[in-house]
Amino acid sequence: MLARIASEALSGLEGHPVEVEADVVAAAPAFSIVGLPDAAVQESRERVRAAIVNSAFKFPSRRITVNLAPADLRKQGPSFDLPIALAFLVATGQATDGCDGRGPIAAVGELGLDGSLRPVAGALALAQSLRRRGVRGLLLPAANAAEASLVPGLEVYPGRTLTEAVAQLAAGGGEVAAPADLEALLRGGEGDGADLADIAGQHGAKRALEVAVAGAHNILMTGPPGAGKTMLARRLPGIMPPLTAAEAIEVTRIFSVAGLLPPEMPLVTRRPFRAPHHTISSVGLVGGGGTPRPGEVSLAHLGVLFLDEFPEFRLSALEALRQPLEDGEITISRRLTSLTFPARIMLVAAMNPCPCGYLGDREHDCTCPAHRVRQYAARLSGPLLDRIDLRIDVPRVAPRDRRDPSPAEASAEVRARVVLAREAQLRRLRGTGAYANAHMAPRDVRRLCVVDRDGIALLDQAYDRLRLSARACDRVVKVAQTIADLAGAQTIVVGHIAESLSYRTRSAVEL
Amino acid sequence: MNARQALGRAAEDAAAHHLEERGWRLLARNVRIGRGELDIIARRGAVLAFVEVKARRTSSCGAPEDAVDPRKRRQIARLAELWLGARPWALEGVTDVRFDIVSVDAGVVPSRVRHLPAAFTCDG
Repeated sequence: MLARIASEALSGLEGHPVEVEADVVAAAPAFSIVGLPDAAVQESRERVRAAIVNSAFKFPSRRITVNLAPADLRKQGPSFDLPIALAFLVATGQATDGCDGRGPIAAVGELGLDGSLRPVAGALALAQSLRRRGVRGLLLPAANAAEASLVPGLEVYPGRTLTEAVAQLAAGGGEVAAPADLEALLRGGEGDGADLADIAGQHGAKRALEVAVAGAHNILMTGPPGAGKTMLARRLPGIMPPLTAAEAIEVTRIFSVAGLLPPEMPLVTRRPFRAPHHTISSVGLVGGGGTPRPGEVSLAHLGVLFLDEFPEFRLSALEALRQPLEDGEITISRRLTSLTFPARIMLVAAMNPCPCGYLGDREHDCTCPAHRVRQYAARLSGPLLDRIDLRIDVPRVAPRDRRDPSPAEASAEVRARVVLAREAQLRRLRGTGAYANAHMAPRDVRRLCVVDRDGIALLDQAYDRLRLSARACDRVVKVAQTIADLAGAQTIVVGHIAESLSYRTRSAVEL
Repeated sequence: MNARQALGRAAEDAAAHHLEERGWRLLARNVRIGRGELDIIARRGAVLAFVEVKARRTSSCGAPEDAVDPRKRRQIARLAELWLGARPWALEGVTDVRFDIVSVDAGVVPSRVRHLPAAFTCDG
């Protein structure tokens, strides 16, 4: 007898429809799975067999052929366990598909040997794709229910065990999980305790970070060990505008596909902060692999990618960063498919001024030979540095500042200013496709950024004296525009240009 | 007939007797196909079983299913397919097709017979 159960396969961040067909006939007993299955899908046979027997169903001695259609789409992972088991049970008359009339429901889930249902990765992406195709509902492990029910308009039928899943199927989707309250989840998950107020002094660096966040500019911090670069970077998500509901869904989808969503947390509510170690490979950083997975740039989507010890990263990894920094997404091409992962990040890089770390420090002497300092700095290519609008020095905190008992400004106050500045940018950039000053095209910089006469004079002077390139000049204007937006000013005045120029320190990097 | 063949023959007789006592109808015994042999083909109700008989002189050598190695399993599965292919009518009214192992422990008197249903499938 033949039975069909609808399911869904994940490819990158997108779901694709898969029909699981089970044919059970009286012949020499065998259990085969066809339809381009990978090793995990082949192993599904053993899990399904054990789960069926241990759930008090019968596993008759017949020839079982399971086909995963379409046959040209690669099927990966354990999420087909449940639809295979259900199709088998329907084909052997041990379960009924009660979905007729209202359209089929889809099923995904991994089975334990005892018949328990284990959560699968990417439930949110699967649910979204089912919803787009107008599928009525999704039968899935109870542990995934909260995540899948973030998608409005799709009924979610949770099951803790194979037996419960069979009951849900017989009822044509009996017990429906309550739709998630997105706003409540968003409000509930704010704050991780790291606040800018924890950091004494560093007023210059804090101001620069505020400017960087306000205009979504990438930033490079140079300073000796222990100056607080990492501490400052960690506090960036706290001064970025809160995630909107749509953004939270986007971030959650990527985390879910990467299998990084904590089980008790159906929704990512904070902007991501990713700080990969400098030994990371380029595939780990930008994504890829035989079955392409999102890399750190995509996991940092809509948040911060913090690269500490910036020049220590592999050159291949740093160069691979250029495309996502430019396009806000990363495209991975394979023989059969090409996948796109979003990667709209704010890059925050940190480095020591020299290999020993103390070049230019007031108290320590630098022990590096001059050529080592040059080698260190030369690892950063011009095209990559070109995409970093702000470059600042972060010196060690002065003793007077360290003892200062008066509380520093809290993250919430900074965030309020950032939110206002972003709103001003959105109004001005309407129709350009950019959402923040950092992403303005050169044409838009000239068209939209109004610099007053003194400002232009200073800019021309800098162009000559500092031998700025035309592109560098655009960057100065972009950052000045952000400073003006933070000040609530309509035009860019000479003060804004001057501050912007101060964020282009010619430290060791450009020596 | 040497001693080992005699033991095998006796074990198959004991296994056949054991199956018949329990309601199995023997369709064929010692079916030779090419170089291989299917020991017993039996039917009970809707079940068709290809039975491999294993004679053990002692029970200390492990379970009977362990005595049928993967190569032997594949051979039996292939022979069964050939046998069925030549006799499509043999599947009439059959729902389940099984590969069973019957082990006959000749170390005791009377010999002890153990029947292991669905011991293996075509894929191991």
